[in-house]
Amino acid sequence: MNALERHRKLTAIWASEPGWRGWFSTVNHTDLGRMFLVTAFFFFIIGGLLAMLIRAQLATPQSAFAGPEIYNQIFTMHGTIMMFLFAIPTFEGLAIYLLPKLLGTRDLAFPRLTAYGFWCYVFGGTMLLVAMVLGIAPDGGWFMYPPLSGPLYSPGINTDFWLIGITFVEISAIAAAVEITVSILKYRAPGMSLDKMPIFAWYALITALMILTGFPPLILGSILLEVERAFGLPFFQAELGGDSLLWQHLFWLFGHPEVYIIFLPAAGVISTVLPVMCRTTLLGYGWIVAAAVSLAFLSFGLWVHHMFTTGIPHMGLAFFSAASTLVAVPTGVQIFAWIGTIWKGRPELRLPMLHILGFFATFVIGGLTGVMVAVVPFDWQAHDTAFITAHLHYVLFGGFVFPIFAGVYYWLPHFTGRRRFFHLGELAFALVFIGFHVTFLAMHWVGLLGQRRRIPTYAPEDGWTAINLISSVGSFVLAIGIGMILIDVILHALTAARGRRNPWRAGTLEWAMITPPPAYNLASLPHVTSREPLTQEPDLAVRLARGEGYLATPRHGWRETLTVDVASGRPDMHVLYPTNTLLPIIMSAVTGVFFLSLLLKFYWTVPLAVAGVAYLAWRWVWVLGRKEDLDALPMGHGITLLNAAMTDHSPGWWGTVFLLTANATFFGSLLFGFAFLWTVAPGWPPPAWFVASPVELGFGILGAALGCFAIGHAIVVNRRNGSPLPGLVLTLAGALAVAVACAAMMARTPSPEAHAYGATLFVLGSYGLFHAVLGALMASFLIARVLQGFTSPMRRAEFTIVGLWVGYLSVVGTLVLLAGHLPGLAS
Amino acid sequence: MTDLIRILIAPLVWLAAFSAIYGLHGLICGHGIEGAALGLPMQRLLLIMAYIVAVLLQATLLAALYHPRLASTSNFVSFVSHATGWTGLVATGWSLLPVVMTSYCT
Repeated sequence: MNALERHRKLTAIWASEPGWRGWFSTVNHTDLGRMFLVTAFFFFIIGGLLAMLIRAQLATPQSAFAGPEIYNQIFTMHGTIMMFLFAIPTFEGLAIYLLPKLLGTRDLAFPRLTAYGFWCYVFGGTMLLVAMVLGIAPDGGWFMYPPLSGPLYSPGINTDFWLIGITFVEISAIAAAVEITVSILKYRAPGMSLDKMPIFAWYALITALMILTGFPPLILGSILLEVERAFGLPFFQAELGGDSLLWQHLFWLFGHPEVYIIFLPAAGVISTVLPVMCRTTLLGYGWIVAAAVSLAFLSFGLWVHHMFTTGIPHMGLAFFSAASTLVAVPTGVQIFAWIGTIWKGRPELRLPMLHILGFFATFVIGGLTGVMVAVVPFDWQAHDTAFITAHLHYVLFGGFVFPIFAGVYYWLPHFTGRRRFFHLGELAFALVFIGFHVTFLAMHWVGLLGQRRRIPTYAPEDGWTAINLISSVGSFVLAIGIGMILIDVILHALTAARGRRNPWRAGTLEWAMITPPPAYNLASLPHVTSREPLTQEPDLAVRLARGEGYLATPRHGWRETLTVDVASGRPDMHVLYPTNTLLPIIMSAVTGVFFLSLLLKFYWTVPLAVAGVAYLAWRWVWVLGRKEDLDALPMGHGITLLNAAMTDHSPGWWGTVFLLTANATFFGSLLFGFAFLWTVAPGWPPPAWFVASPVELGFGILGAALGCFAIGHAIVVNRRNGSPLPGLVLTLAGALAVAVACAAMMARTPSPEAHAYGATLFVLGSYGLFHAVLGALMASFLIARVLQGFTSPMRRAEFTIVGLWVGYLSVVGTLVLLAGHLPGLAS
Repeated sequence: MTDLIRILIAPLVWLAAFSAIYGLHGLICGHGIEGAALGLPMQRLLLIMAYIVAVLLQATLLAALYHPRLASTSNFVSFVSHATGWTGLVATGWSLLPVVMTSYCT
């Protein structure tokens, strides 16, 4: 088979469907990565326009441009859009587009999940935009502090749009994070051991793990606040045993890592692009990996530095102040590694490099003001002033937008297959750089003069007029610069001449394919022996196109790839992907019905939507798998591999591990909230304690233990060619026993509306019940699969996946029941 | 997976220790623990003991990461895990140092 025939056959297998239907049914990562990026930049424009409105309002004192109510919506939506609908999805889009190409494989681990996440993002973001158009957008600030955002002070639907819309969008982030983590760990070219991974993959891996552990506290906080608003369970009302500080803890447990979730992928772009621009290799690869890991962890120890003015005892403040200063060290390691890379190379001042230099200047200033506000006495002075707004923009614009622009210009020839012709970009960069610094240096200044953040106007005698005017003029220069970048990119995409492959002479694998990239990425998969395969083997692209790599011959119309051992990069499984389907968009639409029903209080459609999602999830998994065993198949280069369905640790098992990591963080946050309210909140002890029942507790714990034991038994028996059905039936019975015990606990909980104690127990019980029902559904699914012949001693992957879920259910079910019953038994 | 754990374990233990001691501080202040021992108020003593345990744990972990039987066979993983091991130890020592220096519960 020659290269052209191979290209045609692979394209027929991997391409999305023709016409409009293809937009909705595609599961291809290149399509979805592009769709993510275009949608994210659409939201960036909207968020930018809102920023212009803010600066128009503040340009002059006593401005009548917008009233306070509208102004509140404008700044809330600006922050919300930029953080949730632009920054995170841009990372997701870039990672989804790039990772399989950088890693030398054909797609991400779970293509349908990519599509589901994208459509959740689109629908959730649209909900927020519709609210804005209707004039009922969220207006409590992007961090939505109660009691301001609680039912007493924000009775309208505005806050609900934020809580529900953002939770909907966060499904997308969690889905992408699971997808990215498993893809980086398992879906790499053979030979690509951990030390040979492209540096962007390391950053993406760390970021994805941070999303999995950083987002659940916010999802929990949003659920609790929405439940308080909708049903009156008082988690954040001090007079009923709640505490508004709980929200701040949950929010900033997410919110501070979020800053690094935004920065780290951008740092990945810098670490990828900078060496190419300097015609050298990255200095201190190992140090950078260690610094990024350290930064990720340390960032979870900083959340209280957003709460220095809330009256927390000095020792608590000192913990977080110390951790906040410490985080500068790994950041500094990265900065010095980049400076060293410039030093040892021959920098070329091409457009991506200009943006990188813009990043250096801006981010270092933002980092230094960050160290200033990490010092408690300074923070007490600057808290909630425009100084903080300026600091966060230096960090986020400097640490994300400049690197992303560098990345956009660097990978633009890859996205389009064209070479730059119009050179608006250089002028645009100058305007962006000057406009940004004029805007936000001035904002530091006016903040130090005492201007509070988020004020709708000010008086002439405050002495802030000239500075605000300068800041507003700067912001319009910045906006013109960004507009010119967009025009430059659009002109490039539509009109520029075809370019040659790898115009930057980079060494990473994404340039080893034709551009724009084909749906299958690489005609055959390389064997990687270096961190920069193209530098080591300049003719690699041609050899891969000729079919000299793995999986060079398309067969049976399969979308196939292989996975590798995490550490060594040794091939270990053969994977068959699902093909194009409308299932993800339908499932996200039904998920949207669930959220919309909650938002509009159409509670009768909520169970219908839940049932719909459960049915579609069942179908999602059911269409996978086969009724006959597959022999080990040849992959090329003399290697044969078993299909993933015939292993214990299939991609689904890996995905489950990381999804459960996020889930466990959610549950841990819930337990933290319970302990926090119990320990810190005023209004405790509650008027009535839950009356413990040894029978219910024992029944539930017995069920949890039975489920855990029975699924383990079923796994072993199936492997030994016995019937797993008895074990699975017992697993089902165990899950149902946990469900009954949790439901009984919920039914007997002291009035959840009367005190936060009852409210928290009710939510704990709901969590246990939900997982018990889920466990029962999974056990039933597996029983059905066994009966239909989808499993065998060889085809056993589904057993271990269900085993993970049931094991998790056993642990959380037991903890939920103990949390409810133990205090009663002890008293 | 084992190599990933080698890289992540020390910072993870720091995070757990940091959260646990912050939680212990909250419990001590929330429940008004009284008394004294070894010439120190009980609150301070408990916090210092927890601090010492955390530092010792990190030091043990670091020693384990250097031990030939437990170290990775990959030079790269060894290097990164040593670096993150030192990060865990320094972070524990520095970020929890306030237990011996600042006032508690005020």
